[in-house]
Amino acid sequence: MSAWTPYQPKNEAPWNVERVVHLHRRAAFAASWSEVQRDLREGPEAAIHRLLSGHERSKFNAEFEALSQNIAQAAVASNSAIRLKAWWFLRMLKSPDPLGERLTLMWHNHFATSNRKVENLLWMHDQNQLLRTHSRGPFGKLLSATLKQPAMLKWLDADANRKGHPNENLGRELLELFTLGIGNYSENDIQSAARALTGWTIKKDEFVYQESRHDDGQLEIFGSRLTLDGDGLLQRTLEHPATARRLAWRICSTFMGENTYDEAALADLAAGLQRQDLNIGWAVETVLKSERFFSANNLRTRITSPTESVISAVKALELDDPPPNTLQLSEWSTRMGQDLFYPPNVGGWNGGRSWLGSRSIVARCNFASALAMGQLWQSSDPARVESSLVKLLEQYAVGSHLRDRAQWLATLLYGTSTAEQVSIVIGDLNSSETPLSHMIARLMASPDYYLA
Amino acid sequence: MTSRREFLKVAGGGALVSFSPLLPSLFASTASASGASADEKVLVVIQLDGGNDGINTVVPYADDGYARARKLLFQKTSELHKLNDHVGLHRSMKAAFELFEDDRLAIVQGVGYPNPNRSHFSSMKIWQTASIDSADHGGYGWLGSALDYAAEDVERPNEASTAQNAIFVGGQETPVALWGRRSSAISLSRAEDLQLELSSMQSAVPSPITSRNLNDIEQFVRKQSVTAQSAAKAFAQQNQKSGSTASYPDSGLASQLKFVSQLLRGGNTARVFYTIQSGYDTHANQESSHSRLLGEFSEALKAFLNDLKAAKLDDRVVVLAFSEFGRRAAENDSAGTDHGSSGPLFLAGSPVRGGLIGDTPDMSDLVDGDLKSLIDFRQVYATLLGKWLDVPSKEILRHDFETLRLFH
Repeated sequence: MSAWTPYQPKNEAPWNVERVVHLHRRAAFAASWSEVQRDLREGPEAAIHRLLSGHERSKFNAEFEALSQNIAQAAVASNSAIRLKAWWFLRMLKSPDPLGERLTLMWHNHFATSNRKVENLLWMHDQNQLLRTHSRGPFGKLLSATLKQPAMLKWLDADANRKGHPNENLGRELLELFTLGIGNYSENDIQSAARALTGWTIKKDEFVYQESRHDDGQLEIFGSRLTLDGDGLLQRTLEHPATARRLAWRICSTFMGENTYDEAALADLAAGLQRQDLNIGWAVETVLKSERFFSANNLRTRITSPTESVISAVKALELDDPPPNTLQLSEWSTRMGQDLFYPPNVGGWNGGRSWLGSRSIVARCNFASALAMGQLWQSSDPARVESSLVKLLEQYAVGSHLRDRAQWLATLLYGTSTAEQVSIVIGDLNSSETPLSHMIARLMASPDYYLA
Repeated sequence: MTSRREFLKVAGGGALVSFSPLLPSLFASTASASGASADEKVLVVIQLDGGNDGINTVVPYADDGYARARKLLFQKTSELHKLNDHVGLHRSMKAAFELFEDDRLAIVQGVGYPNPNRSHFSSMKIWQTASIDSADHGGYGWLGSALDYAAEDVERPNEASTAQNAIFVGGQETPVALWGRRSSAISLSRAEDLQLELSSMQSAVPSPITSRNLNDIEQFVRKQSVTAQSAAKAFAQQNQKSGSTASYPDSGLASQLKFVSQLLRGGNTARVFYTIQSGYDTHANQESSHSRLLGEFSEALKAFLNDLKAAKLDDRVVVLAFSEFGRRAAENDSAGTDHGSSGPLFLAGSPVRGGLIGDTPDMSDLVDGDLKSLIDFRQVYATLLGKWLDVPSKEILRHDFETLRLFH
């Protein structure tokens, strides 16, 4: 695992505020200042372990889950997609396990399923819970659970795929997107995969295998001739080395910045994944603990997704008590280009540079204003954010000079601050009555905030 | 065509102001207007997303193979809008048929490429990057590259250009087709998407010149910010003088095209507009949705072209409609069709030489159950680039392709 040697703090890569903020923005949306200070004190080992264990924020666990469940049930019962989105935003904001939510978001992109065609919020919700439950386990369990579930079966026309008249949709995306990736199979393999999956369908909100519809004839796949059912097909895709390579890529593209890993690093991680029974938790741990992850050229080189950027400001600034209206947070994310439960197609969001179209940037700037002006809360109050921030800065004993305050806020959001950023943020604020919310609006509308 | 340099001379160099306190002036100061003026030729692309069933769009009713391949999805000959004694448009395409009769619609038949790829994503990338080689697919699109070429500024090759040369109208991500090395696409789904809330919070303050060396991705995020903010400003000015009164049918595509028309009437200088009509991936129970899609497409297209004609803009605008692939010749057993190879492509507008172009693929001469490709899509691109966008096509397509007679 030479590409992923563990991180040890050293002169060129010290364990400092910049790296603590980096870790949280990549793996947990963001951290509050007290969390940053705690992790700075306790060191990288403890900080990463806390994220991986799922108990980053330990308080109110049972209470939170009960509340979350009630909200989800109400959203499904009222058949309101926007409320289901708001439910997930609340989870991302308040969950004791932010890494789990970050991974759930990753899997929602990997197994991108849209309610546009599924048209069933119960199924969409259940799929989302499966992604969460299996988010850091062996990939085989996640794959099987997600595929043998009505949302995916409906999305990719499983019911239309029957003995004697195969429908390729599910088989093709299984090989192209969920497991092997493009270039690792033939058109004939696709047709065989479709035949192996015949008999899979939905009955009464459940997956069922209808033997009478299954094609148990000989088929040829990945160079072997045999008879194969859906479970057998999944097993073969899991054993295929290309699947480990694709998962390594998925994890790196989620947690690493642009141009920070090459084909050799992917191969190294893929080889480890194969040895570890495709254990995702192991791979995530390996990446987050690596020297590569904390190296200077991996800092602030990843363009944040709309969902991440919406959540991270609210979390870092501790504006989550009471939380903003999460219906609004989800609408802003949509305006920026990420509509959860409605990915653009089965390939998911492309991510990276494609997040920064003009509309998305205008929406990011407008979101910064709306947040700073207190417009995202149930009762809109222009002074809300200013007074919250005043209290926050008092709590952390930040100096009263505008320069100190701008520098502290920039450090909290970006991990670091330059004199230039501070000057831009302060600008002409001397006469302003609400300098802190002005600064926040400027910091969040800045291109510097688009990178994490 | 006014070059960018000439425009700058005329405009005194400082055509645009810096809007944001957050952008280093290095970029803000070069946020000059694009060289494009509001009377250049424009291409509007409609992406028929999902793989349109070309066989039931331009129906080869006189081909014996048609009835053999299509049972549940068979289109009655009497209901077709006949284009000649061999093919006819689907019954829901009356509006397109009227454009055809009016010499404003060209239908290029059997368009595809060698070794068809049946993946939506790969085939779409092939069309959008105009390259069969997947190594090119992460890079730049054919239209982005064309706009790069048109906007080339030899004097200042390293500065960020903010020319607003392409506009994507839709709720999805900006398609790869529009990504260029220097040209920038903006994306919108409605006018409000470009209204920057210029609250007191983000009012302009002087921005210092950056002292830092910016890496590639930092430069990218800054360039995108400047583009977006310039676009917002320019759009706010334009929006006041738009105002189309033409009537459009009630569909997503129609409102997107209406929005394009508003932008054009408002004097927008983009050379390329791009929009998407989704839903063509008809694996099951195809007929009702396919019929609706083709009807919406035809009616929206006709309303758009008539609107432009009324605004005397029609001589400047050509519409291209394509899909990433056609469907298999034979229908499947779900009353749908699976991913195939070639299909028909549409070009519309007053400058277009209307009519059927190329031979109709033979339903009994299939390759692996698919229609043959008779015309390479890059021949269409080469024609559009060379004869409409005035860009040497070989610069963009890397090879010479035989052009087609698509224009008067």
